Amino acid sequence: MAPDIDYLALAPEITLAVTAVVVLLLDLFLPRRQKYWTAIVAVLGVSFAALPLIALAVSDVGDRAMLGGSFVVDDFALVLKGLFVIAGYLVLLMSVGYVESDRYYQGEYYFLLLMSILGSMVLASSRDLITLFIAVELVSQPMYLLAGWRKGDLRSNEASLKYFLLGVLASALLLYGMSFVYGLTGELTFAGIAAEGAGKAGEPAFIMAILFIIAGFGFKVSAVPFHFWAPDTYEGAPTPVAAYLSVSSKAAGFVALLVVLYSAFPDASGVWGPAVWILAALSMTLANLTALRQTNIVRLLAYSSVAQAGFMLVPFAAAATTDAVGLGEAFAATVTYIVIYAFMNLGAFAVVIAGARKTGTGDIEGWGGLGSYAPALGALAAVFFFSLAGIPPLAGWIAKLVMFGAAMGAGSPWMIALAVIAAINAVIALVYYARVVKTIWMDPVPATAPEEEVRTASVAGSLGLAIGLSAAVVVVAGFFPSLVTFFSDATKVLAGG
Amino acid sequence: MSDWFSEPANWVFLVLALVIAVSAVRVVTSTNVVHSALFLVLALGATAGLFLLLSAEFVAWVLVLVYIGAVIVLFLFGIMITRAPTGPNVEMDHRPRAPAAMAAFLMFIVTAGSGLTAFGDQEITRLGDGTSTELIGEQLLQRFVIPFEVVSFVLLAALIGGITLARRDASPAEEEATEEEVQA
Amino acid sequence: MTVTVDWYLILAAVLFVIGAAGLLVRRNAIVMFMSIELMLNAVNLTFVSVGRELRDLTGQFAVFFVLVVAAAEVVVGLAIIVSIFRTRATASVDELSEMKG
Repeated sequence: MAPDIDYLALAPEITLAVTAVVVLLLDLFLPRRQKYWTAIVAVLGVSFAALPLIALAVSDVGDRAMLGGSFVVDDFALVLKGLFVIAGYLVLLMSVGYVESDRYYQGEYYFLLLMSILGSMVLASSRDLITLFIAVELVSQPMYLLAGWRKGDLRSNEASLKYFLLGVLASALLLYGMSFVYGLTGELTFAGIAAEGAGKAGEPAFIMAILFIIAGFGFKVSAVPFHFWAPDTYEGAPTPVAAYLSVSSKAAGFVALLVVLYSAFPDASGVWGPAVWILAALSMTLANLTALRQTNIVRLLAYSSVAQAGFMLVPFAAAATTDAVGLGEAFAATVTYIVIYAFMNLGAFAVVIAGARKTGTGDIEGWGGLGSYAPALGALAAVFFFSLAGIPPLAGWIAKLVMFGAAMGAGSPWMIALAVIAAINAVIALVYYARVVKTIWMDPVPATAPEEEVRTASVAGSLGLAIGLSAAVVVVAGFFPSLVTFFSDATKVLAGG
Repeated sequence: MSDWFSEPANWVFLVLALVIAVSAVRVVTSTNVVHSALFLVLALGATAGLFLLLSAEFVAWVLVLVYIGAVIVLFLFGIMITRAPTGPNVEMDHRPRAPAAMAAFLMFIVTAGSGLTAFGDQEITRLGDGTSTELIGEQLLQRFVIPFEVVSFVLLAALIGGITLARRDASPAEEEATEEEVQA
Repeated sequence: MTVTVDWYLILAAVLFVIGAAGLLVRRNAIVMFMSIELMLNAVNLTFVSVGRELRDLTGQFAVFFVLVVAAAEVVVGLAIIVSIFRTRATASVDELSEMKG
């Protein structure tokens, strides 16, 4: 008796899996000088994975559920899969020059990156705890390895070990929570848990289970107080890997959190609402205050991404206090924020890769005068950093706007307090983002800067393409926010709005 | 109370539970890494025994084969490759123990306490009825076919990445040499 | 009075907490990792015992997947520890203090 499989619904995942295996085989047979073919195949494979996504989006079959509802391809899954494919594509483009420039294992690098993208694709469709857990592991495990990919470098080794130990601890917490949920409801599918768990929101075991699950995902999205691996890991890991961690891996954590909280525990919002409120307030405040003191650009971006995770959690907390319509709005606000954040943060990391090549340093001081000898890069850096700060008319502004809208829409005093905290933090964040831009444009070129040829050398084509694409999205979405909200509105299906 | 003692399953549970608890404590307190690994074997073996008592034969034997057969061997290899001090090593823990013990105790109260309030008190006394392995095998390739396939990629990624990360890098000169050898 | 599912849950909680305490106290990466294995074992015990209570097999599927993923984690973890050892001959977390702050 064969299981009932809808192969079109699985086509994006199958494409990626086949690509990954082809990359691995190619790597085996290619001589060292032609390893760049693995990169080309990986980029092509990820592009091809987008085709079935489009086919699924335009088909009028509606939601495709299989295997007892544990794997569902609905509009929510499609939008997030699209985001993961594009983010993966951009990270691959960023990696090409970076991986070639050093003695990395190229084939294996691309293979692991593709595996992680595959995991995030499965994650967007998982609607039971087992599939979700396996998908989260497939996202994370290649990343534990890739964080340590600069093998001879002790900082990279430490990055990898720290990330690994905390990641595995997070999995253990997550699983312990899941085992209690299973014990209480006898179900592992989200729909089943929601139905069986309806009257159990007040039971201590249920509360504990939900808190364990939030803590587990808190590590994955690097929310305070579960963030302490992030700065060290981002700094030690290869920079494209850090970009992937801060965008796709974090987005995957958020998707998991969204799906679990909204579709498995809709009745327990009184439990997870306050917990998420605390996480959001702590993440924004502590990360922003620490970011003010950072002198290394990657560590600055690490703390900035922790703070951004706090902003993304604000609508979650709001959702807990409102009715069904507000729930849908809050849900869409989080998705909008994730989508916009993905592009601006990937762009910022791509600029950092290009800038570090030109200035020869990751210290912000060493970036003085970058705008004078690389005006285009300096201008793009300003675009991404100001977008992260939320300055109109760049896309980051739309993200902040919908986030505040969701918080104020909830109307309760607690949510207004959280909105005030978020507003104060947006101002603090502006200080350190603007400081980077000021250094690039106003400060003199430091004496330690490398020679003229290095500084004016052109940026690798693929990296330039990644920067250009992200910048285009950040600018265009700022002027036409409906481009983003169209997609995030489609995701409301999951919240029933 | 005499009923309790006359039931052999209770005795088996009690003995296995004691073995698990004591060896788990020894895993984390032993000053010798190899001893920790061996106590981990004992804890996992006794857990497999409890699985049998709960009539979950399939996972019991998977636990024995995967863990005691493979994982512990990997651990021992890891200990030996890294030449971690295998003798007693008093400096292995110097974090304050008292706060950790307090935190652990609080966590125990919370987890065990909330667990107790939630679950029924059905008696688990006798060994189960018949095998469930066949049903598990069937379901694995039906309802759980997607996680089953995906977990194979998790293993593949761990394998490939693990080998790449752990292997000794050849120096550039050596690499050139092998490259030429291949081309010749 | 006989052994009920509660007894198993208490045992699992004990195991989970011992693992968590080990993770907090120990500084050796391999032992910290073993502590996490103890925590995962506690999860497995919970899944099997509540599954037995519910007369449901789904818990055993969860255990199967947890075991496989844990095996993959062991491979990844030991590869990372070995790669650190190749850079610097130690397995103690405290000696890794290149980065602070």
